[in-house]
Amino acid sequence: MDHKHIEMRSVRKSYRFFTLDDLSMSLEPGEVMGFVGPNGAGKSTTLRLAMGMIAPDAGEIHVLGHAMPDAQAAAKRDIGYVSAEMRLLPNATLGWHMEFVKSIYPEWDGGYAAALVKRFNLRPEQNARSLSVGEHVKATLLLALARRPRLLILDEPTNGLDPVARHEVISEFMDVLRDDNRSILYSSHNTVDVERISDRITFIDRGRVVESSNKEDFLDRWRRIHVQLPAGVSLPDLPNIVGRVEDGQFITLTTNQYSEGLRALIGSHVRDVQRMNLEEIFVANVMFHREARGA
Amino acid sequence: MNIVIRKLIAKELYVYRWLIAGGAFAGVASILIASLGKGGFNIGALTWLTTIIATGVVLALYGIMNERKEQSLQFVLSLPLSISEYVRAKMLGLFAGFLIIWSISCAAALVLVFFKASVPDGLAPYVTLLSVFMLANFAVVLCGALHTQSEAMTSAVIVVTNMGVSIFMFTVGPLPGLQKHMWSPAPVWNDTFWTVLGCELAVLVIAFTLPFIFAARRRDFL
Amino acid sequence: MYSGINISQTDARPMYLQIMEQIRARVAAGDWLSGKELPSIRALAAALNVSVITIKRAYLDLENEGVIVTRHGKGSFVADVNGLAGELREARLDEHLAEAADLARQLGLSEDDLAARLRRAQRNLDKK
Repeated sequence: MDHKHIEMRSVRKSYRFFTLDDLSMSLEPGEVMGFVGPNGAGKSTTLRLAMGMIAPDAGEIHVLGHAMPDAQAAAKRDIGYVSAEMRLLPNATLGWHMEFVKSIYPEWDGGYAAALVKRFNLRPEQNARSLSVGEHVKATLLLALARRPRLLILDEPTNGLDPVARHEVISEFMDVLRDDNRSILYSSHNTVDVERISDRITFIDRGRVVESSNKEDFLDRWRRIHVQLPAGVSLPDLPNIVGRVEDGQFITLTTNQYSEGLRALIGSHVRDVQRMNLEEIFVANVMFHREARGA
Repeated sequence: MNIVIRKLIAKELYVYRWLIAGGAFAGVASILIASLGKGGFNIGALTWLTTIIATGVVLALYGIMNERKEQSLQFVLSLPLSISEYVRAKMLGLFAGFLIIWSISCAAALVLVFFKASVPDGLAPYVTLLSVFMLANFAVVLCGALHTQSEAMTSAVIVVTNMGVSIFMFTVGPLPGLQKHMWSPAPVWNDTFWTVLGCELAVLVIAFTLPFIFAARRRDFL
Repeated sequence: MYSGINISQTDARPMYLQIMEQIRARVAAGDWLSGKELPSIRALAAALNVSVITIKRAYLDLENEGVIVTRHGKGSFVADVNGLAGELREARLDEHLAEAADLARQLGLSEDDLAARLRRAQRNLDKK
């Protein structure tokens, strides 16, 4: 399939107190995209739009080549969806759910499902009502993975999970990467995980895309430059500075386009240049754009 | 009917299996009580009515609202179906569940009317009208629950339709066309009967069809 | 299988550099011999729970350094160069020496001072 797995163009969705506006993004086969944003930014809304559970007010959405939400039945044949707030049917067992999903999806891999039950330490006889949060996520992930869907859409799947469960869950869905025809859209505010596993990252804030780029590029471009300026000395005009904090002689500059040239401009006053982790980049980026928008 | 819809209907019946079995059982038990003399008849008739209405309300209320509350709606919506197929599966599944309770209980009631000597056959038309009324009532509650988003509205629909049962018994029962022949030894299927039946069936058909036209067209389901 | 390679997210160095270093170390030590096939990019990504793009970058840079060779459609292999292990170790020595020279300059030591310190360090090794 040459199709992008997900393509959204200028999508708009209005609610009473929140609007998702001019959202464009795309996901290629073989790719992991991390969707990062504060609470209420519109991550879940975007993922539900991709699943056809809600319809956009404007714009186009195509998933696996199907127009959404109209062709959602066909698209969902090949999508595995897991969300932190999703629950299974309360008075049925995990085993019942496995049979139920198996009867609907002929691609169900019973052997893999059985292996996952063991790996995730779940019991098929267990009633869904009695599953803990972590077990619920693992159960819904199992039901999604055993069908070997081409596209995985995960909405905060590691929320509320202990570190061991988090590791189990991530290891299992990262296994999907062995096939360059499968892709993952993963929304989270756990920036540590997103930084590690994403090929591309999209920052979203207050219903708008702030920036979308490949992960290594983000990590290469952003830096904190620690500068010490003796009294009477001032810095020249510097390009691409998105943040500046002064504390007496000590100035911390944040840049989103670091280069040796920039360092040379500041010259000998540079005390230290630090890489930034994804969380720091995210916060700095969002703050910068909020200020720009406010102005 | 595609496999997803069929499986969802089966799922509805599975999830409410105890309610359905219990309701049918209670309906038949009520009729057995009703067969035990005059006092038994009154008690039995009351429990028969209550069982059918109550199970209908629970099926409609829990059937629609609980999936949302228990957060399993996303699980169902992540299956390969469209929103209209979801609505169709819901309607058919819950209706099928209620029909099991209703048909067994109402058949038992008619058996009592026709085969128990102490119960006059003239009651048959009234029992039939009462039965179809409760079926139409269920359809209205289900239709209401599918179109409203809030529990408050659904509860209001339920209260209003339950008042309807009392209103039915107080207005339709005393209708001269029915009242005159209720206690006679043979059933009388007169114009009054057919008119009331016609109205009930009309309401049933409308309430059953509306969701397929409106709820199924909804583009936002969350 | 690849559990020996470990990526730390609390390490200051970027992930792709950590991977490159660990692969270089194995080649330098002789654990990974010339011609040995490396895990495929996707297999390593899945095994380490790291993005494909990071592994790709590491492999690309290692190829530019001459440590590995990628044959299109066949996979990546440790470069079949005689003395590669030795070369890598020498490169590492040069890195350390460059750092030492930089530090010495910052401390204001002369070339002779640095040489003396180096001799002292070598003698200490013999003592052990």
